[in-house]
Amino acid sequence: MSKPKIGIFGMTGCAGEQIVILNCEDELMDILKVLDIRSFHTAMSKNDEKCNLDIAFVEGALVQPEEEISLKEIRKRSRLLIALGTCAVWGGVAAMKNEVSRQRLKDIVYGSPGRIFKSIPAQPLHSFVKVDFSISGCPIEKEQFLQAVASLVHGDIPVLPKYAVCTECKINENTCLLLEKSELCLGPITVAGCNARCANCGIPCSGCRGPVEEANIASEVEILKEKGFTLGDINNQLRTFAGPAEAIQTHLAKR
Amino acid sequence: MQKSVVIDHLCRIEGNGGINVAIEDGRVVKVEIDIFEGARFLEALVVGRLYYEVPPILSRICAICSAVHTVTSLMAVEDAFETEPSAQTQLLRELLVQGGNIESHALHLFCLALPDFLGYSSPFALAEDYPQEVKIGLGLKKLGNTIQETVGGRAVHPVNAVLGGFGTVPTKKRLLELKQELTKGLEEALAAVESVARLRIPDFSQSPTLYAALASSSEEYSLFGDKVIFSSGESRKVSSYREICNETVVPHSHAKHSHFKGLPFMVGALARVMLNGHKLDSETKKAREKLGLGSFTENILLNNSAQAIEIIYSIKRCIQIIDQLLKRGIKNEKPVEIRPKAGQGTAALEAPRGILYHSYSFDNAGRITKADVITPTAQNLANMEKDFRALAHNFAGESKDGLRVKIEMVARAYDPCISCSVH
Repeated sequence: MSKPKIGIFGMTGCAGEQIVILNCEDELMDILKVLDIRSFHTAMSKNDEKCNLDIAFVEGALVQPEEEISLKEIRKRSRLLIALGTCAVWGGVAAMKNEVSRQRLKDIVYGSPGRIFKSIPAQPLHSFVKVDFSISGCPIEKEQFLQAVASLVHGDIPVLPKYAVCTECKINENTCLLLEKSELCLGPITVAGCNARCANCGIPCSGCRGPVEEANIASEVEILKEKGFTLGDINNQLRTFAGPAEAIQTHLAKR
Repeated sequence: MQKSVVIDHLCRIEGNGGINVAIEDGRVVKVEIDIFEGARFLEALVVGRLYYEVPPILSRICAICSAVHTVTSLMAVEDAFETEPSAQTQLLRELLVQGGNIESHALHLFCLALPDFLGYSSPFALAEDYPQEVKIGLGLKKLGNTIQETVGGRAVHPVNAVLGGFGTVPTKKRLLELKQELTKGLEEALAAVESVARLRIPDFSQSPTLYAALASSSEEYSLFGDKVIFSSGESRKVSSYREICNETVVPHSHAKHSHFKGLPFMVGALARVMLNGHKLDSETKKAREKLGLGSFTENILLNNSAQAIEIIYSIKRCIQIIDQLLKRGIKNEKPVEIRPKAGQGTAALEAPRGILYHSYSFDNAGRITKADVITPTAQNLANMEKDFRALAHNFAGESKDGLRVKIEMVARAYDPCISCSVH
């Protein structure tokens, strides 16, 4: 069986997903045995920019018009396109205040000379192209990436948990930071896969993996309001990593 | 006659950028590092957020440097609120930062830069002929990540380092295990120095360079410090970082440029070894001599060798920190209480690529009103352009491909982190 041809691409972000892939120090050489990496600018010179790909892994959000063109080119040459990381899946931190004009943001950061730079509100990949599969996380979890690769090389679509971080946290028997410590914890509405890393350290979940399917945001917000948090601060936290997500947009539109 | 070298997308670096150099009748007419990585406007997006929300958001500036962004951010907030974390917290934070230094340097040196010196296009191609070298590099990289996971709770974007302290402190048992891994890693790093010493590091890129690095009052080499020293002999307090960097916006780059008194300057491992190398311990100094960094040099390609020296330094420092923590007895202490107030705070740390500044203003309620982050790669951009100009001038007669290879090697030697530079 020939090795699947793959490309690893970055839009705008912290490059965290590419770094997590390179952080598979023990597995990297085995990955090379099963994947034919044709494009990976962060690690390789001599990338093949034209060949058809079996799988494109794309991280980052789109924040400028040129990225739409390059993403569509990647889509055209790839059989499967996989969104890697919260920026690619949900827009990430760059999308936390998409209602603010880019001109205003440019003025704050660059002053008037920055007006020449082109910028669009940060969007996830699925706003522009069909995404076949998503692995969220800020950054993604190494194990989820490796499991996904293992499934894909066998022709299977990977399976990821459909429950919340809250479930993982309960299995770990952590003290509940939301109900018992009254902290702003987004564990109940955030998709699992990190084994509740933050709560294991006694730190509330910031929602960095984005919302779980059918997240009950209304109920989460009610609990947080009862705990004394203002709606403004709750909304800020909800929008930090996954602002463009439909569930969060629906909640914000209610006001 | 016009000759131009256009590198659309510079590879084997972090982030998205290109380089354009044009020579006309032997005269260099254009040198631009085109940083087209998109701006996320993170400094503007955090405005209005509560003080404790700031560090985890600004950590996202960069994955490779997320530990040092986190710690610098925590220190800037604590500076604004005049909070002093415990000695144990300070040691653990340094352990986290040193872990990041090991990981970042090992990634760059063995996976991204080494292929240049041995004539390969990637670490994957390199591994086919030099499996042992790549294996050692990946092992050291993993060691850096293990430290970050142990202390920070995650290798990228640490979750456990918070204002005033840590969510959970590592156990004595875990620290002892880590020390064992570090001791083994030190042997491998020392062996790696021998390999790096055997490389022929070309000297085609030499131009007058102003180095800048943090300096501490300690007699020991450090990634911490409250003033910035220059190879010109001048020094400035960290709090006057704006007068050090004098950032300006240039039309061809989403990252700003820095100049000190009108001159570009270089920050990073080479600047640190040049300015603080005399403070290294004797064993690390031996490595410094072996790698040709015992005396002043302006060969930027030696930044790679300086990173090898710092891997040794950081591993040894981590062992020292663990010994200190164990001697003190690791305490299960909770983060110190933060009392927000209106004010301004600034902090700087040596990130793997050089000095990193975070500076914030807060209102009475502890909401951030202004954030300013200046990253090492942004500081280096003007100096990189200076080096490319010198290269293009000195090698104007060389073939386009030959010049391109030289330009790429110099660019990569800086270990640029483009996500950081734009943010």
